[in-house]
Amino acid sequence: MQKLQKETLTGICTQMASHTWSDAEINELVDPQLGIITGFQDLLNELEQLRKIDLGTTPPAMGVQGESK
Amino acid sequence: MTDNIAFKDVKGLKELISSGEITPAELVDVFAERIDRYNGISKAFITPTPEDAKKQAADLSRDDLSASPFAGIPYASKDLFDVKGVLTSAGSKVFHDRVASSDAFAISKLRNAHAISLGKTNLHEFAYGATGENEVYGTCVNAYDTTRLAGGSSSGSAAAVAFGLVPAALGTDTGGSVRAPAALNGLVGLKPTIGRVPTTGVVPYCWTLDHVGLMTRTIEDCADLLGIVAGYDSSDSASVNRPVEDYTSALGQDIAGLRVGIPRNFYYDRADDEILAELERVKEFLASAGAVLVPVTFPDMEHSRTVSLTVQMPEALSAHSAYVQERGELYGTDFRAGLALGQCILAEHYVKAKRFVEVYRQETNKLFDEVDVILTPATPEIAQKLGTVKVTRNGVSEAIGNAITRYTTFFNMTGHPALTMPCGMHSEGLPIGLQLVGRYFDERTILQTAYAIERSGRFSIPLPRLAV
Repeated sequence: MQKLQKETLTGICTQMASHTWSDAEINELVDPQLGIITGFQDLLNELEQLRKIDLGTTPPAMGVQGESK
Repeated sequence: MTDNIAFKDVKGLKELISSGEITPAELVDVFAERIDRYNGISKAFITPTPEDAKKQAADLSRDDLSASPFAGIPYASKDLFDVKGVLTSAGSKVFHDRVASSDAFAISKLRNAHAISLGKTNLHEFAYGATGENEVYGTCVNAYDTTRLAGGSSSGSAAAVAFGLVPAALGTDTGGSVRAPAALNGLVGLKPTIGRVPTTGVVPYCWTLDHVGLMTRTIEDCADLLGIVAGYDSSDSASVNRPVEDYTSALGQDIAGLRVGIPRNFYYDRADDEILAELERVKEFLASAGAVLVPVTFPDMEHSRTVSLTVQMPEALSAHSAYVQERGELYGTDFRAGLALGQCILAEHYVKAKRFVEVYRQETNKLFDEVDVILTPATPEIAQKLGTVKVTRNGVSEAIGNAITRYTTFFNMTGHPALTMPCGMHSEGLPIGLQLVGRYFDERTILQTAYAIERSGRFSIPLPRLAV
């Protein structure tokens, strides 16, 4: 997986249906300064690890109606 | 006189009302006066509503006062809960004009129980963040040390109870936003099982992780409050239709034979030594009371924060879609950055994260085949100084918001009930908290265990010595 470029996100946000994000907001994803959230590149790296883990037929989590444990 | 009253628990206040020593209207006056005195420093309230509260108190009949353990008792709610006729700001300029036309489910239940809403409390904007820092309404401080954070996102609810401005408050908990600030401020904080308390009428942050939570001074007050606000609402898709139990009847029951899970991994790693030492004392007490300590191993927690974030941000963006479109410029910088991140997460990422949540649920459920409750520290750190950005422990640096909620976030994903309570004081003068986690809908057992710890008297902490 290549390193995330600002142009990629700008392209996504202008060429696909998206809210309007400022240059500063896109920059924050590529080069985080606020320290509130994980940088997007770090998150993508972790998500790529998750993607490779086989969860078999496990479905997405739903409600807990009927759970007794 | 008023200070003595202000730090009583709800049960103590009810006794004063029952004996005729104070009326509900006078009680409202006591707390309203303290809000005038302490809101400037605590920043606990965004919208205090003392006039509405006085009117409500004055209208209560003798019969009304016997309606519930909270009848005639003032409380506060995080400013995400709709209270009819009152602004729901969500701690944001975006909702500067959003006056609620009806009550949230929990508020309605409290109104029917003749509890008295004294106002709406401060928070991290839209509950996005665990420090409680708020550019618009100020940052709540810790009652034990006003140079430190109250923690968040239910920062105002924690500060309101800790400063003695109300005896109980409602908050919301998506990653620990009730339990963590409660622990940092020496209070009891409960996140019930997901679906136990409907979120109807609460501004959403992340639908599938949001829980209504409770903050009180004591376990008994917590049990009473849960009995009032728990229920079913068909308009909340997560709400679960099952009877509300009598939570107080579990209090005082013997804990001999109770199986207490002690995690081998994650929860006792990389934490303040004094916090770990207090937890050892708690384990010793539980064992001496006849509980059986059972080592348990949690599923791999390595990716749990990533999983949580990957669920949170797309849901938050979706919840805020219309407002981002119409009022995007009114959002704070950090929340907009989070929403932008939500925009760029792929659908496959979101679904994979939700599948991990299912794995976490299944594996955590298996642990409850072996144990009845699980004991962990509430937080790995005590309340940090205002302005702290990162915390370094054992050579690992971590954003403060992540550190504050490191031990709580997982149970928002699994949905299991979890309670935090004080269990000691740090040498820096700040409270230390523990967390008890139970089976789905088994709030009774965690309340029973917590009550035994509280009643032992070995883990009591002093009230804050307010300097103002």
